[in-house]
Amino acid sequence: MEILKSIQEVVWFILLISLGVGALEGYFYYHFQYYDRKWFFPAALAVMPALALAVFGQLLGGYTFQLWVYFLLAEAAIAAAFRYLVQGRHTVPYLLLAPAFVGLALLLVYPFVFEIYLSFHDLKLTTIMMWKNTGRLPFVGIDQYIKVFTTSPLSEVSFWALLGRTLLWTFTNVFFHVAGGFALALLLNNNIRWKGVYRTLLVIPWAMPQVVAVLAMRGEFHSQNGFVNIVLTKLTEAMPFLTQLGIGPVQWLSDYPLVTCTLINIWLGIPFMMVVILGGLQSISSSYYDAADIDGASYLQKLRFITVPLIRPVMMPAVTLGTVWTFNNINVIYLVTGQSGGTEQADILVSALYKAAFTYNRYSYSAAFAIVVFALLFFISVTYLHGFDAAKEDR
Amino acid sequence: MNKERLSIERKKQLKFFLIHAVIIISAAICVYPLLRIFSISLRPGDKLFSTDLSLVPAGATFTAYASLLKDTMFLRWLWNSLIITLATSFIGVSLASTAAYAFSRFRFPGKKAGLILLLSSQMIPAGMLILPLFLMIMKLNLMNTYLGMIIAYSVSSLPFSIWILKGYYDTIPRSLEEAALVDGTSQVGAFWRIILPLSTPALSIAFLFNFTTAWNEYLVARVVLFSAKQYTWTLGLFELQGQYITQWGMFAAGSMLVTIPVLCVFLYSSKWLISGLTLGSVKG
Amino acid sequence: MASVEFKGIVKKFNDNTVLNGVDVDIKDHEFVVIVGPSGCGKTTLLRMLAGLEDVTGGDILIDGLRVNELHPSKRQIAMVFQDYALYPHMTVEQNMSFALRLRKTDKAEIDARVEEAATILQLKSFLARMPKQLSGGQRQRVAIGRAIVRKPKVFLFDEPLSNLDAKLREEMRVEIAKLYQRLNATIIYVTHDQVEAMTLAGRIVIMNKGIVQQVGSPIEVYRKPANLFVAGFIGSPTMNFMHGKLSLEGDKVMFTSPDIKLSIPPYLLPANKVRDGQEVAVGVRPDDVVVGREAGEKCSDKIEGVLEVCELLGHRENLYIKVGGQRLLATVEAFFDRSPGSGVQLCFNYKNMHVFDKATENRISE
Repeated sequence: MEILKSIQEVVWFILLISLGVGALEGYFYYHFQYYDRKWFFPAALAVMPALALAVFGQLLGGYTFQLWVYFLLAEAAIAAAFRYLVQGRHTVPYLLLAPAFVGLALLLVYPFVFEIYLSFHDLKLTTIMMWKNTGRLPFVGIDQYIKVFTTSPLSEVSFWALLGRTLLWTFTNVFFHVAGGFALALLLNNNIRWKGVYRTLLVIPWAMPQVVAVLAMRGEFHSQNGFVNIVLTKLTEAMPFLTQLGIGPVQWLSDYPLVTCTLINIWLGIPFMMVVILGGLQSISSSYYDAADIDGASYLQKLRFITVPLIRPVMMPAVTLGTVWTFNNINVIYLVTGQSGGTEQADILVSALYKAAFTYNRYSYSAAFAIVVFALLFFISVTYLHGFDAAKEDR
Repeated sequence: MNKERLSIERKKQLKFFLIHAVIIISAAICVYPLLRIFSISLRPGDKLFSTDLSLVPAGATFTAYASLLKDTMFLRWLWNSLIITLATSFIGVSLASTAAYAFSRFRFPGKKAGLILLLSSQMIPAGMLILPLFLMIMKLNLMNTYLGMIIAYSVSSLPFSIWILKGYYDTIPRSLEEAALVDGTSQVGAFWRIILPLSTPALSIAFLFNFTTAWNEYLVARVVLFSAKQYTWTLGLFELQGQYITQWGMFAAGSMLVTIPVLCVFLYSSKWLISGLTLGSVKG
Repeated sequence: MASVEFKGIVKKFNDNTVLNGVDVDIKDHEFVVIVGPSGCGKTTLLRMLAGLEDVTGGDILIDGLRVNELHPSKRQIAMVFQDYALYPHMTVEQNMSFALRLRKTDKAEIDARVEEAATILQLKSFLARMPKQLSGGQRQRVAIGRAIVRKPKVFLFDEPLSNLDAKLREEMRVEIAKLYQRLNATIIYVTHDQVEAMTLAGRIVIMNKGIVQQVGSPIEVYRKPANLFVAGFIGSPTMNFMHGKLSLEGDKVMFTSPDIKLSIPPYLLPANKVRDGQEVAVGVRPDDVVVGREAGEKCSDKIEGVLEVCELLGHRENLYIKVGGQRLLATVEAFFDRSPGSGVQLCFNYKNMHVFDKATENRISE
């Protein structure tokens, strides 16, 4: 029964969405098609605001006259834009784009703007009910931003410590992803047997559901039952001198959480880089290598003067993406350390952001924090891409 | 002369041996955790703490699987995940397929800006949008519901899907649609009768991408769903894996059950996913 | 079947004018080939007729009916595309019947028409195949079949043979000619290949830079090219051009270039049509250059040149002859008995000589 009910619920929802899309298309079709009719303005102003009020009224705080005036003004502006600016041009592409971009606007752009709004107000556990009922929040100016830099997002680490840790985390991970991926891709690019099988096996960490992969790896770092410590124990038993070198089982999860997370994430991330680089390697025509052989180039010279420069256009976007992904990676750290009583020693900016919001319920604080992180990431990406463009022009 | 050739042969053999050795070790590191989960899932309940490293443990049983299905709501979690994921993928692919067509075939003001918006949306930290989405869902009274989850997920893969589909549409010659126009379809009819049927490979890849993203999602589910009945499997497994070591076997069994199908689907489609990834990023 | 009229057609892409006032009348049952170098606007003109491009200015009429804004499917035309544009996900039969199915034609009628077209094009054994299982020539046939099935008023061919290899192209050319005899339809055929134009056309429309240069039967455009462009474009190998000045010596018209001096016979160019000192280009086709002993016997104005290169083509031979700084190409019967580097005598066949004004580029000779 419950299954039937859930199916019914979702089917209704999809029908609702289709209806919404249909209404949206109808709305735009009207504005594209009939912009030059005499009755365009009167009809639009009479019908649309009333319709909008009927549909969204309850959602936006009751069927008030004030709201109707807002809708009226909005419709007047939109109708005028269609009549004097758009004039029915490019109807088909805009109608095709409308559903997707309205979706993006509602669920990507609006949340983003809402985040900025939150960061200048004070939403926390004590004010959330007030907000839910009245939609009002106390304005606090840039207080939240000041707090981001002066107080700890969690309970002990400071913003700057998190920043340093994030940069270290990002750099280490991306470095090992690229190095490991490149090495494996070079090996796989040889004409060897079972290449397909190897390739399949090597992408398994990427292919597994991340939750399973991370939790499984977390288990392997368990102090008693984890594979890593079992092997280390057996090694030190077999070769006691290793203990003197400081090698032995350790409490990975509580004493070295960041190292653990990094190792797990490196394991997770190498396959993607490997596959991208392998694709790039396979696209390099073998005639370059033949020519280099005739010119008498050694293996390392070929690597340096042919492979690396030719693979760069493929690598750069992948590395950029990889950097952004690693910088934003909450999953690994949260899944390893996020359980109750988890440590803060492995947190990077984004995971602290998530915990600040949902473990500590400091919503506005975390919004301000998010804006700071976004600005930082934006700055890094722009300089990065700028360097990429410059490198492109060099060639 | 002969000797020299022999030594060259030798070197070659050695080289290939080394390559195989390194790759096999790497492959082992990649696969081993999965095998370990498998092995743990077979352990009898009293041996879960064992430090045994053998793959098929002594006294292997399927009791963990049985108790997972019987004593927990695992099937219910799978069902929740499935329904949320199917709905999101359906919505995501439908929206992407038409938007990508507009980007592929038409010239209109704002085209470049739209494409840049799609690309730059990939830069927004996922963690950043969770909070406002969470608040929106709360305000709409959709906490702990399928609909809340579907709303939160539905556009997350949209930019990527649009990129993949646009790349694929670009490879379909325009003359096909022109022929259809001459034959008597409208522009939209040509899209529906010619382009969409031809794009089934790309559509299924976009669908799979949407599907795997939503299927494997954890962080949004964590904040939107709070009753065990509504959990997706990711939340459920995380709970199982929690501090109660007794459930370690069930965690392993559940992991195996969700991983195997995902793995098959992924390996089947990985070639496509990658070409989509590189296509999108290189062109951008 | 139907007539087609282009009236003052203008096409602009943003600020780029592609067609600039095209006027062509195509009569019922006519096979018209539009030919010109790439970028001359010929394909754009065809696509405008099909309704695939907007008309910037002017009118297109099919059977006297203005179709500028009519949807492609309502113009009763069928088009064969350069890349055939067969729907890859449909069988040959489905491809051919698609338009009829869209129109909800009677099933028996569809089958009959597909059957008929398949018979004409020898496609009967391929009806169940997918396009990718066919060879290039077969795909071409399917594309044509798809057009025939519709029984349109006008057939449009957009460079249909350019994706085929040379041998197949010749075969298909003959097929299309046979098809025309059989269907007796109005056909508009666009190509950049002047051989296709000469062999297939009832009338040729030669275009360059968005302007119609000449309209006429193949023999007209070959014998009496209207301007320098047509003269250079039609005919293979290309016509020889000599650039110089005309002068009047009594009632004789003399042509002088740095290397060559000729008297132009009055039946070609009467003296009253000429200004003294008028800059002109004189064109002679390689076939009309007479070389060697023959020249010595036949001609009065002999020109001395040096043989540079001989190219043997089989039964004919191309001779590249240098007269001072001017290079002339002569095509003669094989085998010419001089070796490169030796001096030769040559003269022109005056009857087939062409004189063009340098300023207007138009033909001034008869």
